[in-house]
Amino acid sequence: MRNTQYPITDTQQALEALSAPKKTRLHELWALFRENRLAVIGLVIFVLFLLTAVSGVILTSGQNPVFDPAMVRLQEKLLPPFTRPHLKALQPAQVPTLGIYLFGTDNLGRDVFSRMLQGAWVSLTVGFVAVGISVLVGVFMGGIAGYFGHESICLDHILAILVLSAGAIFLFMGWIGTGAACMAAGFIYTAVCLFARTRTGQAQRRGIFRMRAISVDTVIMRMVDIMLCFPSFFLILTVVALVPASMYNIMIVIGLTSWMGTARFVRAEFLSLREQDFVTAAKALGVGNFRIIFRHMMPNAVAPVLVSATIGIATAILTEAGLSFLGFGVPPPHATWGNILSDGKGFIFDAPWLTFIPGVAILIVVLCFNLFGEGLRDAMNPKLRERG
Amino acid sequence: MLSFIARSIIQKTITLFFVSVVSFLIIHLAPGEPSQVDPLNPKFTPEMLERFRQEFHLNEPLYAQYIHFYKDLFTGRIVSWKDNRSVLAKIWERFLNSLPLFVVGTLLTWTLSFPVGIRSAIYRGGLYDRSVTFLAYLLISIPGFFFAYILIILVVTTLHVPVIGMETFGLDTSSWGCMLMDRVWHLLIPSILGATGGIAVLSRYVRSQMLEVEGQDYVRTAKAKGLPPDVVHYKHALRNALLPFVTMFGLILPGLIGGSVIIESIFSWPGMGRMAYEAILARDYPIILTVNFISAVLVLAGTFVSDLLYLVVDPRIRL
Amino acid sequence: MVTKRFLILMPMLVMVFLFQSYLWVPTYEEQTTGNPDRLYQYITPSLGDATSLNPIISSNSTSSQIESLVFEGLLDRDEELRFRGRVARSWDIFEEAYFYVNSGAPVPAAGFVDGPGIVQFIETAKKKADSLPPEVRETLRRIQKIVLIPPEERSVVKALKSPSGNQPVRKIRVHIQAPARIKMTLAEINQDLFTNLSRLLGEDYFTSFDPVPFVRADPSVDRQLLARWAGELLPVTEHNPVIVFHLRPDVRFHDGRILTAEDVRFTYQAVMDPANLSPRVSDYEPVKTVEVVDPLTLRIVYKRLYSPALATWGMGILPKHLLNREALRKEARMLGRDPDTFTMRQSRFDRHPVGCGPFQFDRWESDQFILLKRFNGYWEGPPNYHRYVMRIIPDLLTQEMEFYSGTLDSYQVQPHQVKRLEKDPRFQCFSGTSFGYTYIGYNLRRAPFDDVRVRRALGMAINVDHIISYVLYHQGERITGPFAVQTDYYDHRIPPLPYDPEGAVELLNQAGWKRNEDGWMEKDGKRLEFTLITNSGNDIRKAILAIAQDAWKQIGIDVRTDVLEWSVFIQERVNKLDFDALVLGWVMGIEPDLYQIWHSSQTHPHQLNFVGFQNLKADELIIKIRQEYDHAKQVAYCHELHRLIAQEQPCTFLYVGKWTAVLDRRIVIKDLEQNGLMLYKKITPTKTGDYTFHFNKWIKLAEMPQFSEE
Repeated sequence: MRNTQYPITDTQQALEALSAPKKTRLHELWALFRENRLAVIGLVIFVLFLLTAVSGVILTSGQNPVFDPAMVRLQEKLLPPFTRPHLKALQPAQVPTLGIYLFGTDNLGRDVFSRMLQGAWVSLTVGFVAVGISVLVGVFMGGIAGYFGHESICLDHILAILVLSAGAIFLFMGWIGTGAACMAAGFIYTAVCLFARTRTGQAQRRGIFRMRAISVDTVIMRMVDIMLCFPSFFLILTVVALVPASMYNIMIVIGLTSWMGTARFVRAEFLSLREQDFVTAAKALGVGNFRIIFRHMMPNAVAPVLVSATIGIATAILTEAGLSFLGFGVPPPHATWGNILSDGKGFIFDAPWLTFIPGVAILIVVLCFNLFGEGLRDAMNPKLRERG
Repeated sequence: MLSFIARSIIQKTITLFFVSVVSFLIIHLAPGEPSQVDPLNPKFTPEMLERFRQEFHLNEPLYAQYIHFYKDLFTGRIVSWKDNRSVLAKIWERFLNSLPLFVVGTLLTWTLSFPVGIRSAIYRGGLYDRSVTFLAYLLISIPGFFFAYILIILVVTTLHVPVIGMETFGLDTSSWGCMLMDRVWHLLIPSILGATGGIAVLSRYVRSQMLEVEGQDYVRTAKAKGLPPDVVHYKHALRNALLPFVTMFGLILPGLIGGSVIIESIFSWPGMGRMAYEAILARDYPIILTVNFISAVLVLAGTFVSDLLYLVVDPRIRL
Repeated sequence: MVTKRFLILMPMLVMVFLFQSYLWVPTYEEQTTGNPDRLYQYITPSLGDATSLNPIISSNSTSSQIESLVFEGLLDRDEELRFRGRVARSWDIFEEAYFYVNSGAPVPAAGFVDGPGIVQFIETAKKKADSLPPEVRETLRRIQKIVLIPPEERSVVKALKSPSGNQPVRKIRVHIQAPARIKMTLAEINQDLFTNLSRLLGEDYFTSFDPVPFVRADPSVDRQLLARWAGELLPVTEHNPVIVFHLRPDVRFHDGRILTAEDVRFTYQAVMDPANLSPRVSDYEPVKTVEVVDPLTLRIVYKRLYSPALATWGMGILPKHLLNREALRKEARMLGRDPDTFTMRQSRFDRHPVGCGPFQFDRWESDQFILLKRFNGYWEGPPNYHRYVMRIIPDLLTQEMEFYSGTLDSYQVQPHQVKRLEKDPRFQCFSGTSFGYTYIGYNLRRAPFDDVRVRRALGMAINVDHIISYVLYHQGERITGPFAVQTDYYDHRIPPLPYDPEGAVELLNQAGWKRNEDGWMEKDGKRLEFTLITNSGNDIRKAILAIAQDAWKQIGIDVRTDVLEWSVFIQERVNKLDFDALVLGWVMGIEPDLYQIWHSSQTHPHQLNFVGFQNLKADELIIKIRQEYDHAKQVAYCHELHRLIAQEQPCTFLYVGKWTAVLDRRIVIKDLEQNGLMLYKKITPTKTGDYTFHFNKWIKLAEMPQFSEE
């Protein structure tokens, strides 16, 4: 196998080198991107935010953190930013590391600066993991729909799936015997089918069980439609309220309810890529499906995914903040920006910094993600490139 | 045409069926019991629990519960677990409260976005365009509840007027004109908040549509012909740029439910979103499911309407 | 270009329409905009909804706030915390005291005397009292009438439960042949009556009385039980304080019926009726009889000396004609309920109360508001406000914003806001000391807390002023004892424990605790260590926990802290007396009755003296305070007890909190002068900080008032 593939890759690289050298393309992208000053600012803040979040997690975690976000000093409640602590009223261990409350203190006397640092990491994690999940699911679904869209699901597939899921349900409900029997039947049938397939290649066994019922594309797109029918924030709220509160659940729920856009993008992209010559060529050379998808088509479809992922992170951060605000966010002891804000809102007339600091921080980060994403989209937009 | 309608109605019904199944499963497979049947709740004796479970079919298998639920929903007999009131009546009452918020918000969105977007398309790259672009991003990025508190703080500390709730308390003895205007005032801030995101997105969309059209040959021709710029922009370009927006009218329907949870709870507004939120807190499944179902219906109806509108408006599409 | 103009004009018009609505909305400054009635409404917030509006059933603060306006008691307290008549015009308190003639005990200088002899004896002693000691003379002076009650026969049925509990209850008839009894009527209540009389009648005249020969059980029971019953049935001496209330003739209920003594008696019976499950039963348990002398006179006889008695009659009076048996049966039948099990608790009265207070009930929308109208037939003249509205707003921030925008007239300020709101010229601020104090209690049953020096040292190590200034934002006041600071009972001369860590170390050294090489206090090789606990959900107590832990660490005491969930805290630790030290608070009443919290008989599990304070002198004083009807004497006893407790330091008293409330500055007192002129006065709080005392005369003005004295 290997031997046959080396020359192809080489040829292709050579071809690519001839038509559009990679370096220049990146350069070109950068040049275009650089023109958009807002987007560059966005990128800079984005990098700053990354650094803050990473240093935040280092500085605020562990047994004896440099900045302790959970240190309660009730003598030092609701101090405005830039106040010096009352040294008289504090034990040495309680004195803030910087010798000053940079962002003030909250209603329990916790240092808002430390909490913001910790929250930065949580926000970042929630954003990235949620979007990671949504991109993975989206690319997978979109890719299948776009590439295998024409393939049909036959009745026997449906039957096998039905038997399997019935088995799972039986097992779930405690009827272990029936469930196990169903599961076993399903697995045996699947194995037989797969075995038959590898033996006979693409043998066409016609019959009632091989009737084409519905195409893969339709199934996936209907799933997307179904998912789009749910009001997304309401759905997230429902699920988050029903499952036990934890950071991971929130990330998973946000991720699983936001993959539809990506799936549609990728499908559209794949549909057009599939018809292109280099894919046909690869197919003709007998390259495996997965290799075609991941090696040849994916790099070409990555741009819109990247853009939507960047903006998706912004949305995820906003969603998490909204959930925290309603009391369903990341549970304590993790401080998140949404948490700080919703805890501080009761003191809005006396300690506005508790609302404004996290609010402005969320605003800036989300804004820079949006600007960066849009800048990226503009830079990759072929129409604009022509004009530029 | 008729066949298109029939086909999409069938398709949407099937989708709706799956949505109902999925939402039912999500709610019922999630861990935990509704608080009313929570055995840990000391207020409930085991007998009461059993009666409750029977009354709401909680002892039956899932599929039977599903059938019971949707049978009750379609016959309008479904009741809330919390107070035994008819869910549909409750939703209708709350819907009437949410409606003005939605109408004013939509009105603001659609009337403001067009002039702003068109102008920034015409003066593309200028100071106006750039600042509007930045402002639009700012409005998309600002967390709604944070913005809400900024506005509340501003209004309460500088103007000293009530902003919370649907009306000023204790105004029931004044003239109807006052009461009406008081209600309008209470609508103002929440609907501005509800509209900000919409204005930002829509004005960007208007701008890009206008840009697209302005690049077309016929517009260039019209310009070259020496027509006044206003005529070119507003007559030749705008008309064609408007086409996709007609379809968007259908897509605003789902906004009736989603998205207002946070704003309604900040402003103590007794609307749909708040009801849904309270239902989630109380694990009042009938209300959650009904709200979910209705919003799915609205989404599907919205896409259906927008498809139809497209058919009607765009002469290029014929079925 | 029409399209262009349209596109630009449309949003303009929409915006203009929306924004002009501002001009119609009442602002804080112009609250009457479109709503001239606003000045005649008082709107106040509440965090929680009321439960029931029946004063004998409810026990939450929102309910009682409404009830205090709808209902009226026989009396209340005035600015100086003295009693003031409301439904009752006046009252007399006197005493009827009884004792059985003890023919078996010799009376000095008279020998064995019978009933008439005793009467004679006391009468003569009264006439020539000059030779007697002053307190005996004083006692005799108070005796107005002495009557001899001839011997009588009666019988009672006692139920006897078998000890194992599985046999049926035995009914035993007890025949009593009571000896002659002396009844004395005293002008003033005197708890020392019998002590002083015994100086006249002989040391053991009362103590030697044996009631057992006068009773006979049928069927007979063992001697011990019989002796106990005899003691209960034939108490040798008995104090029966009597209160006679004279009601006002012109008090009407909101439905027009005149309030009579029958209604008062009905209210008492309703409280005592077990079917109503009233939380106020303990207040009226000492009552022996309530009799209606005439429609406007009521005579209440108590079983024993009980000085907090008068205050209990401040409870709202229920209308008998709406809640008696027949009325309830009728209502039950109307509702289709079983008339036999239908009680006041199920009645509609719960949510539609009718009383005789200055405001009458109008509407109650659950979780929204409770609306009261003024009652024009109020006996003292109707209040100035036409409506009283209590809005239920569970969120403090919303309350605050509604207050700033003029849709609430008052707001209960949180400690950190006091400084800011006090300065605001739009508001008037009132603050006062609350009736609850916070303390650190020690379990006196356990070492080392059984040593007063240790307790003093612990108290001296804590800087209470520091807690008050940093944790409470100065919204607190140091206290030294268990009485309400606002009352006379509290002795302000007692100095608080000084903050003196070195002195504390010194005291510990005296108690035998020495610092070891690690710096910890040690005695007999055991380190001084314990656990300090409190309940969760109270940030201030948590802060005190941390501060105390730190302060004690400074003097070498190793303290662990634990914050427990409320139910666990109470049920597992406090009720089972399983704790070393705890941070907790007590809410005090005005009455100086400390029996439940400080008397040594209340130290068992599930009782309130969980710190285990036992002091014979204190017990005696607590009982004396309970039985003393004379204010000056009561105060003297209280001061003595206060000093004793401060000396013993069974717990470290920390502070009483302060509350602050803000009102719109335009709310003033409007009063009619004697010459018929209208007079506006600034609202001033009473001595005890109660600013709502003159609420019925309050009114809101359209303009900010200027007072000459300002």
